[in-house]
Amino acid sequence: MPAEDMGRVSRRLRVVFASSSVIFVAALAISPVKDLRQEWKRYKRDYVRFAQKRPDTKRLLEDFHSGIDQIWIPDLGVVDRCTTCHQGITQPTLGGASVPEPFRAHPTIPHGAQEWGCVVCHRGQGLATEVAEAHETTLAWEQPLLPVHFIQGACGSCHREGLPQTPELNRGRLLIEELNCEGCHELEGPDRPAMLGPDLTNVGRKVSRKWIYKWLKEPRTLTDANGNTTVDGVETTEEPRMPKFRLSESEIRALSAYLSVQRAKPLEDVKFDPRLVAVWSKRPDLIDRGELRFRQMFCSTCHALAVTRAGETKLVGGDIGPELTKVGSKVKPEWLAAWLRDPQAYLPHSEMPRYGWSDEDLFEVTQYIQTKLTDPDLLSDVPRLGAPTVEEIELGRRLFLEKGCASCHVVEGLPAPKDFGPDLSALGAKNVSQLDFGTSTIPRNLISYIQAKITDPLSVNPAARMPQYHLTPDDLDAVTTALLGMIGTPASSGMEKLIVPKREPEFHPLGEFGRVCERYKCYVCHQFDGFGGRLAPDLSYEGSRANREWLIDFLKNPQTLRPTLVLRMPQFNMSDHEASVIADYFGTVLQHDQVDPASVERREFTPQMAALGKELYEVKYQCQACHTLGATGGYVGPSLSDAGDWLTPAWIEAWLRDPQALVPETIEPRRAFTEGEVQALTAYLLTLRNAPGQHVPGSGGGGEK
Amino acid sequence: MTRRILLVVLLMATSGGLTACRKKGAAAPPDALRNAYDSEVDWNDPQRVIPLGYEAAQGKRIFYQQCVWCHADTSPAGPSNRSNVSPTPPLFNDGNALNRESDDFLENIISLGGSAVGKSAMMPAYGRTLGQEDIRSLITFARAIAVPPYESPKNSVR
Repeated sequence: MPAEDMGRVSRRLRVVFASSSVIFVAALAISPVKDLRQEWKRYKRDYVRFAQKRPDTKRLLEDFHSGIDQIWIPDLGVVDRCTTCHQGITQPTLGGASVPEPFRAHPTIPHGAQEWGCVVCHRGQGLATEVAEAHETTLAWEQPLLPVHFIQGACGSCHREGLPQTPELNRGRLLIEELNCEGCHELEGPDRPAMLGPDLTNVGRKVSRKWIYKWLKEPRTLTDANGNTTVDGVETTEEPRMPKFRLSESEIRALSAYLSVQRAKPLEDVKFDPRLVAVWSKRPDLIDRGELRFRQMFCSTCHALAVTRAGETKLVGGDIGPELTKVGSKVKPEWLAAWLRDPQAYLPHSEMPRYGWSDEDLFEVTQYIQTKLTDPDLLSDVPRLGAPTVEEIELGRRLFLEKGCASCHVVEGLPAPKDFGPDLSALGAKNVSQLDFGTSTIPRNLISYIQAKITDPLSVNPAARMPQYHLTPDDLDAVTTALLGMIGTPASSGMEKLIVPKREPEFHPLGEFGRVCERYKCYVCHQFDGFGGRLAPDLSYEGSRANREWLIDFLKNPQTLRPTLVLRMPQFNMSDHEASVIADYFGTVLQHDQVDPASVERREFTPQMAALGKELYEVKYQCQACHTLGATGGYVGPSLSDAGDWLTPAWIEAWLRDPQALVPETIEPRRAFTEGEVQALTAYLLTLRNAPGQHVPGSGGGGEK
Repeated sequence: MTRRILLVVLLMATSGGLTACRKKGAAAPPDALRNAYDSEVDWNDPQRVIPLGYEAAQGKRIFYQQCVWCHADTSPAGPSNRSNVSPTPPLFNDGNALNRESDDFLENIISLGGSAVGKSAMMPAYGRTLGQEDIRSLITFARAIAVPPYESPKNSVR
């Protein structure tokens, strides 16, 4: 290259260098400008401006600093930067809808943000510093915020035991249990119970093939021409426990054939006195006696019947057992009598108590059920099925396993198939990329996915075996909430320490009481130390509460203490001996520490004290607002008409001092009675007794009052 | 971005749709707790669903345990106990009776009982049964469902 050219080139080069330096400097300047314009900085500036307009500016800006705020809890693996923008969440004066987001204070909850962070409950990305990345599913950050409507699911991730503050979660868990989801799915929570659906080993002795056919086609549910769903002719919003499976005509025929030949064990033959049968045929009015006995025994406490009043048909009665409106057209007569006499002989896991029957009662009640609780048209639309063929039975057996029937029902000891449905124990932690939406067009998020799976499984997976559920929107949300809480062992290492395990109480008394308790299934309705049903009063401390004589009397002739109850303690027809076994066990074992009979033994309850107590009861505290005496008073609490017969003095005193100490869930408010008032009220209540001979044995027959 | 907006809109539409599908409720249905915990069907207008914030939702829960017996037309056990109490207690959503009372007054009557504030002794004191948070959430719930609607004094001053 000639020497004179070099200068020219270098001049051009200089221009290039100069302009690129300018561009370079400008590029360098972009970075701090961009940094200034970051989303979170805007919120920081907005907060200062917002705080300056308020009277308590100084306090609101006390802890303010201009950088990223972060809650760091190494133990839990929490690094939450949410407070960078949500700067007012701990400011008590920033509560309420009038404060704009993101500055609004968090409502007061048991867990403070500083101890727990935000993401533990709300999910989302604690580390992110951009609004979209913190709250939504983006390409890099997958976990979205949990919508507030489902937030109780997050409580469930650690609290395996239900909390009073989480009704939605508790109801969702209950529904999951009731709908037997754990038959096919692995779920977080307790192990599956011994019996999900009824044992079908002997079902051919109970119902006909036609009935099985009908049931499989429309399990309990009938849909009329207008699309209204009804259960045995009664409109209901309850989902029957047996869901509807998608079965073809030939599959239903095969399954009904297979099930109708399940007759492993012979039934106990209940033979009625021929004289009884002869009298019956001449006295049609005896049907009413059967009905009366049915009512007196309070079968309705567990079994509902459709009742039509004023043109409106509804189910009246409990839901522990199946509803019985048309059961007379369902079961075979010889099965019914054998079942009522000894339910456990047919179904060892049944919760039905074994009543004490006289032959006459048993005959009358079975006649009533077979004559009155019927529907001649129940099976009229079932085609002719004929005798089951060998091929049908063989196909039915295969379908029983393939369709998942064996997941809930036992037949010939076939074991429940393992991992029949997908494992759901960590469903709530799934990222969107882990979900298979198939061809469905639902929004790409976990909640839509769960809800589509439940309401229309085929929309997500055309080959799904899962039956279809028809939950109300509220029930669906509750179930979704509970499922969202199932996140398996939390990903972050410190979290498993937080899990509050579910208490698994046990109550298996032995000996004579154990046998009586097992016979009458006390724990199906009553609680004993947290074990058992919640339908009837908690009996954990019944021995401290009730007098022995009253208890024996009550067991033999149960009358309700609460005037409004539809569901009452059934009349079991128990013997004197059984009643005293129960009373003795209660008296020695079911005792509360704070109820000390010795403390009241030496106390004299004088008429003056009782008079003062009456005054306190009627005027100062006006207990009659909630308690009935005789025919007057409120019916929130139990009737106190025979409180003196019923309750022990020590229990009354302890109860008046602190009802929740004895029964934590009672709604009786704890009052600030003085010790003198406690004793006066006790003295008065002890005077409330049934006059001897005035005792009305179980009046029954009312059903609903 | 547009897809994201679309998604949010879709989500809102679905949740809105779900709320709209809610079964028609009678006035204060006895199984109100079986319905969504964070909304309450207007007792006077079954078509109107009132959304509840956290505090009001907790208040609703406590209301249906403790207060429903005497401050609603039906109770979980069926009939209301209102007719057995005299003077008849106000319905919990009765704005005409409750809107004029301050939060402090309501907190006092719940906590200390009717007789402490010159009202009926049939209203028991709940101060030793419910915590202050519980009582405040009850008031928030009453304010949320009030008919005619409640206006907080702060708002009316502004």
